[in-house]
Amino acid sequence: MSKRKKRQKIKIIIATIFALIVVVVGALANFIAPHDPNATNAMLMRKAPSAEYLFGTDNMGRCVLSRVLDGARITLASTFLLVAISFLVGIIIGMLCGYYGGIVDTILMRIADLMLAFPQMVVAIAVAGILGGGIFGAMIALGITMWTGFARLARSHTLSIKNEPYITAAKLNGKNGMQIIFGHIFPNIVENVLVNALTQIGTTMIGLAGLSFLGLGVTAPQAEWGSMISEGRAYLQLAPWVVIFPAIAIIITIIIFNYLGDVVMEYRRMD
Amino acid sequence: MSETVLEIKDLSVRYEDCDVEDLQVMDVSFEMKKGEILCIVGESGSGKSTLIKAIHGMDRTRVVNGTIEAFGKDMSGLSKKDRRTLMGTDIGLIPQNPYSSFNPIRRYEVQFKEALSAQKMEYDKEKILSVFEKIGLHDGERILKCRPYELSGGMNQRIAIAVAFLFEPDLLMCDEPTSALDVTTAGMVVDELVKMKEEQNTAILMVTHHLGIAARMADHIGIMKNGRMIEYGPAKQILKNPQEEYSRKLMEDVPRLKR
Amino acid sequence: MNVKKQILKKIIELIILLVVLSFLTFMLMYLAPGDPVEKKLSAQGTAISQEVLEAERERLGLNRPVLVRYAEWFAGVLHGDFGVSMTDEMPVGPRLAAGLSNTMVLALSSLIVALIVSIPLGILSAVKQNSILDHIVKLLSFIGNALPNFLISVLMMYLFCIVFRVFPVVANNSFNGLFLPAISLAIPMAGRFTRQIRAEIISQLDSDYVTGLRTRGVKEKDVLLRNVFHNASPHIFTIIALQIGTLMGGSVIIENIFRWPGIGRLVMEAINGRDYTTISGFVLIMGTIYVVINFLSDLLQQSMDPRSIS
Repeated sequence: MSKRKKRQKIKIIIATIFALIVVVVGALANFIAPHDPNATNAMLMRKAPSAEYLFGTDNMGRCVLSRVLDGARITLASTFLLVAISFLVGIIIGMLCGYYGGIVDTILMRIADLMLAFPQMVVAIAVAGILGGGIFGAMIALGITMWTGFARLARSHTLSIKNEPYITAAKLNGKNGMQIIFGHIFPNIVENVLVNALTQIGTTMIGLAGLSFLGLGVTAPQAEWGSMISEGRAYLQLAPWVVIFPAIAIIITIIIFNYLGDVVMEYRRMD
Repeated sequence: MSETVLEIKDLSVRYEDCDVEDLQVMDVSFEMKKGEILCIVGESGSGKSTLIKAIHGMDRTRVVNGTIEAFGKDMSGLSKKDRRTLMGTDIGLIPQNPYSSFNPIRRYEVQFKEALSAQKMEYDKEKILSVFEKIGLHDGERILKCRPYELSGGMNQRIAIAVAFLFEPDLLMCDEPTSALDVTTAGMVVDELVKMKEEQNTAILMVTHHLGIAARMADHIGIMKNGRMIEYGPAKQILKNPQEEYSRKLMEDVPRLKR
Repeated sequence: MNVKKQILKKIIELIILLVVLSFLTFMLMYLAPGDPVEKKLSAQGTAISQEVLEAERERLGLNRPVLVRYAEWFAGVLHGDFGVSMTDEMPVGPRLAAGLSNTMVLALSSLIVALIVSIPLGILSAVKQNSILDHIVKLLSFIGNALPNFLISVLMMYLFCIVFRVFPVVANNSFNGLFLPAISLAIPMAGRFTRQIRAEIISQLDSDYVTGLRTRGVKEKDVLLRNVFHNASPHIFTIIALQIGTLMGGSVIIENIFRWPGIGRLVMEAINGRDYTTISGFVLIMGTIYVVINFLSDLLQQSMDPRSIS
């Protein structure tokens, strides 16, 4: 058994290293980028990849490599921010519902049920559309339904530990509800919910890129992988590299984070 | 008659997903003849259930060393399909937790038909009902219309035993067959098993942690500890005069069912 | 008797859920920022004075209380009348219906393709666990699951239209064939289905009853088809029902790429034109279909696996 676990641990470490590389590249995008991602140049329209422009240039003569890097920054930042906010909102609501129960719990969980009754991407498209685009609009659109999953998970974990002796002991020591929730429940359930959040990163990225592709995410001229692919497909025949490179970037990133989520889940199932 | 039914030689077994050195059964050897009851006694984790699974070649067991020969055929040399055809009428099994040995959401009637047709046997309702009666299942008609999840553990366990009786195998392996039964019903089952041996000359390999059951039916007893068969011999000899310290302790710990 | 009562209770819950859904959809339209009337008038080039705006609002009935407007809208929806478009004042209902039927064609064909691929692959790779075939299937389904469908469609256009020249490249990058859009939708879905079906079959194969069947000598074909697949199928229906939502979202994107005249293309036009009537009609229709499909899959699961009634 232990050998399999060790092997799994190595897989996790490798996936984490790759994920960290992607994150560092995204964070340092502005320093690594060889050109200004938004600088246009009419002389350099749709140039094929060369030593100067490794990934070529797009319809407006912008450096595709710099735009892919800048897109990494935006994609990663918005994905992480969205997952983090949904995670925090979800876990807090879930803990409150699970710990206090009663009418508030009933109402909030009903709302969560309602949110789950809508297909997520349909709501996201409608809401992002009504909010008129922009990356924050897209994040709100996806976030509306996203917190519910975390809330349900946090609630069920809270319910399963709330009668444990250490919680009762804390109560007897005169700790109030908030102290117990954040001092005792949170540290005990956070790992479970965090792993779930990890598995949501890939799907969230796909969702945000999809909205950007439809023109409901980032606004021009900001680079983002989804919108780059959307722009580039109009002249796909003339300059396929404008689409291919952001496509490779998005596939690799999603594969890395999905793989990380998978191996961590599998590792935890081995216990 | 003293025809050999099962011959196990230097058998070592591990589970597929475990490490190579982590053996569940080590160097076990024994032989069974027709009309013989062998009880293997041991605590949980002693490897006694694994032994039965290995003989069946099931549940991801891997034979690391040694041979299993049933009816003169080397079991590990058989293809999956050939091994499957041995199951049922040649080698029967009453598994551990027999109440989960049926598909929980299909009616017993269809499951009996399926199993009987796999053995090329007729679906004979009267015969099924009479086997049911023998082990205290009186409402047979209703039971056949039920799905396993609707019945109690003890009921399901007895139905699994009934199937084994119906197949009339030459070698019957039982893995804790009375775990969910009360003492009276357990006694009925043990009596039926003994009767089966006497009437049909069935060889019965019984695995149990309950020395009382072994004392009541065994011709031979084997005692297993940490994967090894530490003691093996005629039942009377083992019960009267155990050689090993561990066996002696086992005798003292278990209250004996008197004949 | 008890079962009937439960079903009745579920139907009542379903109706309440649908009413709440319609209310939320209406509020989405009501709370939307930006003034559709202003947008419409400015688009027509009319001079927009405050009075003109006010008169137009009054004429469209936008100044009455929310609940009255909701009740009126809802009553209309029940008769298939989703209101008139805010851009051209044509009734939205028939357009939505026409778009929906095209979307159905696309969605159903991609669903069928995905299932034809993933059910056998899922079962096969579960049965032959840890074999080379299993590893290949696992890898492919993992990659399929990681591919956004807009990416697949753009890459397929590149491959089939430009590299292999199987399909003609039309000037605006559009063609009306069902093939590429359906495949684009089907690939990520097949990836997810295969993974989930494989997991479900494996968990069934690990159940004690399978060992029981095998020790009774039941043929492997019967073990797999009449027992394992039989027991797994209600769960597989649930897996499919839960994917319908993703399919709907994906189809909006795909329809816009391939200019497929479905409801998704309609809604993107509506979003660009701030036509809230069409947007809310879209959300309501998609939400209702999703809720009803999941309700039916629940019922189906209970009729196939009576244990789940409780």
